[in-house]
Amino acid sequence: MSNSNPAPAPALALEQITMQIAGLTAIDKATFSVPAGKIVSLIGPNGAGKTTTFNVISGYMRPTSGTVRLFGHDITGMAPEQISELGLARSFQRTSMFSSCTVAENILMALHLKGRCGVLHALLRTPQFRREEADLQEQAAEVMRFLGLTARADECAANLSYGEQRMLGVGLALAAKPKVLLLDEPAAGLNPSETEAFKEMVRRIGHSGVTVLLVEHDMHMVMSISDHIVVLNYGRLIATGSPSEIQNDPEVIRAYLGSGIAHAEA
Amino acid sequence: MNKKHGLFLLSVIALAALPVVWPDPYILSIVASAGILIIAAISLNLLLGFTGQLSLGHVAFFGLGAYATSLMSLGFDVTLWTMSEPLVVSPKPVWLSFICGILFAALAGWLLGKLAFRVRGSYFVIVTISFAQVIRMVALNWVDLTEGPMALNGIPPLTMWLPGQGVIDLATKASTYWLVLTVGVVSYLLVAALVHSRIGRAMIALRENETLARSVGIRVTHYLGIATIISAGIAGAAGGLYAHTVRIIDPDVFIFMFTITMVIMVIVGGKGTLAGPVVGGLLFGLLPELLRGVVPPAVQWMIYGVLMIAVLVFMPKGVVPSVAGVLRRFTRTNAARDGQAVIRRRAA
Repeated sequence: MSNSNPAPAPALALEQITMQIAGLTAIDKATFSVPAGKIVSLIGPNGAGKTTTFNVISGYMRPTSGTVRLFGHDITGMAPEQISELGLARSFQRTSMFSSCTVAENILMALHLKGRCGVLHALLRTPQFRREEADLQEQAAEVMRFLGLTARADECAANLSYGEQRMLGVGLALAAKPKVLLLDEPAAGLNPSETEAFKEMVRRIGHSGVTVLLVEHDMHMVMSISDHIVVLNYGRLIATGSPSEIQNDPEVIRAYLGSGIAHAEA
Repeated sequence: MNKKHGLFLLSVIALAALPVVWPDPYILSIVASAGILIIAAISLNLLLGFTGQLSLGHVAFFGLGAYATSLMSLGFDVTLWTMSEPLVVSPKPVWLSFICGILFAALAGWLLGKLAFRVRGSYFVIVTISFAQVIRMVALNWVDLTEGPMALNGIPPLTMWLPGQGVIDLATKASTYWLVLTVGVVSYLLVAALVHSRIGRAMIALRENETLARSVGIRVTHYLGIATIISAGIAGAAGGLYAHTVRIIDPDVFIFMFTITMVIMVIVGGKGTLAGPVVGGLLFGLLPELLRGVVPPAVQWMIYGVLMIAVLVFMPKGVVPSVAGVLRRFTRTNAARDGQAVIRRRAA
């Protein structure tokens, strides 16, 4: 980590990332950065490489070449749990939770990094262990309040409604108070009022100082909450800019609508 | 929570009172040998039930614990490749040997964890089976050390100091029974303490969803390793109890059937529940003995099989979760009825 740099390092920076999967180039020399404290959306048609980008950033895939930096620190090729320890958390595209555990247990599991006590403390039930346990319970209660799931604390996660499950999925990523949060299609399959509630929550997360990188197909949501948008198509970066710039970018319009009907847009 | 603590305490007192209430040596020895297998099942449940890893080589830890404590308490000499003089180990006190057995089994657990957790699912199962088979072969063929099929004889019993009586051997049926019960209760409490902690939650998280667990910062191999070491240590304690109560061991302590029995106890009782292996173990450990003399042996095994299938069909999660579910529904409907009564009274 270099502290000599006068400008603050971006929360997340991808430099010339290339990812080849069995001969297919899923990401092709993508370079972009996410400034600290901003909400940035990563959009693009299906198969553009958005989820692959997430997997590369969060350590589930090692890029063929290129560098990923978290606050200037090289995290390329680290394991997911190491990256998580450095303050980056992610949610998953498909509903992802510890299904047969209760909501409260789910959050406690996600607070793993907030605890320190080892095996001996647990086996001997030391005062330090008891204090930490009480503290974790309190933090879990706070996360559930934030998510609006307090009333469902003792419900088995599998019995939650779909919207609540998606909410819990984000809550699990958010629990350990990450500095950078990656959300992979958090609003997929939600009804309009749930989407609205979700939008509100992402905004609140952003305001609390967490840097958010969002993959989302709901363009209303993307346009209304993003500070900045990055567009991928066939693994290549085709545009970056503010929501209004992106909406008027001919390349983006072509990628989404095809060149044939680009004229009809006007 | 407190209700559960009360139930636990009550069960322990009831079990502890058995030799007083029913001092039949035959019954006591049957329950004690079932108890040893239950302790092994408790240890397997930590791996299978809480981390979700099916180890079919669990008997290796049981056998290693048994052999290690036996050899330590009997003393042994061994010549390794490069040594000109044999290494002579004089007989050690029984409890020290017993602890050595636990530590040796735990060490083997650490080793198996290092080897086997590179793979998951069926590959993991195969690695664990091979591990147990290799160890059985060593026990069978390293005759200098283990006496091979000639068996290790005259293993001393565990001892206890009593005020007024000095150090006594724990060799009577009742004292063996209490010894097994004590080790069983300690094992149960160890697993309970572990499971209800941040470490146990990390293990359950790995069972539920490994990808997600990693993303919240849970180090997979670290926690699987801890589970295996502790599980192996408890299995080693069970093996040690076996050695010091049966007083003779041969390579048959490594037979695959022991592992299968443990797995059945855990699955029938309810994997991933603390009481599961105990209930499953009492059921399947005592059933053959209860049926003996009542029905011919062939029928006995048929009843055993049918019961097992029946449990798996009607209570796929095991006896403990199913019974707990029924009880919960029962109390809930009662509460609802009370609630409705209140409403009706208000309306009237």
